Amino acid sequence: MTDQVTFPDAVQWAVPFFIAAILAEFLWIAVKGKGGRYETRDAVTSLIMGAGNIASGLLLGFIAYAFFMWLWQITPLDLGTSIPVIVLCFVLDDLRYYWVHRFGHRIRWVWASHVNHHSSQHYNLTTALRQTWTYTFTFMMVVRAPLILLGFHPAMVLFVGGLNLIYQFWIHTEAIGKMPRWFEAVMNTPSHHRVHHGRNARYLDCNYAGAFIIWDKMFGTFVPEQEDDRVDFGLVHNIGTFNPLRVAFHEWVGIWRDASQPGLTLRQRLAYCFAPPGYSHDGSRDNSQQIKAKHIALHPEDRGTPGFEHFRADLPKSQAEQA
Amino acid sequence: MPLGILLVLVIGGIAGITLMMHLAGKSRVTQLTPDVAKAAWLRHVPGDKVVDVTITNDGHTALIRTPAGNGLVWSFGADTVARHLQDFDWMDHPKGFEVRFHDFGTPRVLIHLDDTERQHWHNLMEPA
Repeated sequence: MTDQVTFPDAVQWAVPFFIAAILAEFLWIAVKGKGGRYETRDAVTSLIMGAGNIASGLLLGFIAYAFFMWLWQITPLDLGTSIPVIVLCFVLDDLRYYWVHRFGHRIRWVWASHVNHHSSQHYNLTTALRQTWTYTFTFMMVVRAPLILLGFHPAMVLFVGGLNLIYQFWIHTEAIGKMPRWFEAVMNTPSHHRVHHGRNARYLDCNYAGAFIIWDKMFGTFVPEQEDDRVDFGLVHNIGTFNPLRVAFHEWVGIWRDASQPGLTLRQRLAYCFAPPGYSHDGSRDNSQQIKAKHIALHPEDRGTPGFEHFRADLPKSQAEQA
Repeated sequence: MPLGILLVLVIGGIAGITLMMHLAGKSRVTQLTPDVAKAAWLRHVPGDKVVDVTITNDGHTALIRTPAGNGLVWSFGADTVARHLQDFDWMDHPKGFEVRFHDFGTPRVLIHLDDTERQHWHNLMEPA
């Protein structure tokens, strides 16, 4: 069993690149007069969230690492650290990312950590750095357990996870339209990820990919960017604060307030914690499926189009909504 | 990376980017017009019907009247935020009114009002 394996902290080493790329995008937009928007307080909030993410990793990272090292001690498998193994680890960890990300949008407990990444109404390279401070509390580190039990060293798993995060940095831009067709077919791109950040009914809960968009195509969650439905960035209910503390913790506070209100059953309290975002015991809120259904009621011409495939065009309205 | 260098990069990077954006005029706040405010409301509440829009003289806040009740739209940097006027408190403030939503993610909005519009907004916020 190889215990003395070290890999660099790729995200920390990428910080100078992040700063340079933000400056380059900002100047590009200023010179071209198109390709995105910047706003001072929004960008500062995103950058502070990014710094806080690194800080939370330094402070709380030991919890996940201790868990991974315990798994490493009990697994009989060791795949080593050759280049093909690192590449395979990157691909499998990207599959892991897809599912964690999907859980992050469909389970409110995980959404409470991830929501801050979507809380900007802008979409530029600073938005990529608007990262969570509370990931440890989602316990989503357990999704990495199979990789380590299969014999991928924890340091390698964390290294490729860092590379994945760095890959996703450059796709947070409006300055790039579409990449070559073969690249759009396989890789996550600015176009695919813009869709993921959309609050339009069409674009809710899709394109969860990290590096490879093929996972969305395999699992039926891919929606291509539509020229006639420009992406509107942000949350369904945009927050009204630039305060990083409120950005980081607002959904956790929301869960607490909802789940602790008097008169609920245990099932309802658990649903406020773990049901898809938008759940309410009294029907006063809409989840993403209900938002899509309301959109179709207002715009029946969109039935059956990308993002509304399950509202099939050939079914009567009531049947399509049950499908 | 040594922690000292990382700190210098992060703090220096944030400060430099902030200064550059501010000097480039990216701190300007959106000005609302009736059409902008209406569009912002419908972006927040698709399919709603807007009966009337009242905008503050500074152009940063709009009161939206709909068949289902009132709401506020306000400038939020280069963007807007909108909320129904439900589950909130409001109080006088030296600069106008302060509206406090019972929402950790949208705690308050300060409506800047001059003396000529304060009474009118008082009536709008608290109809007889």
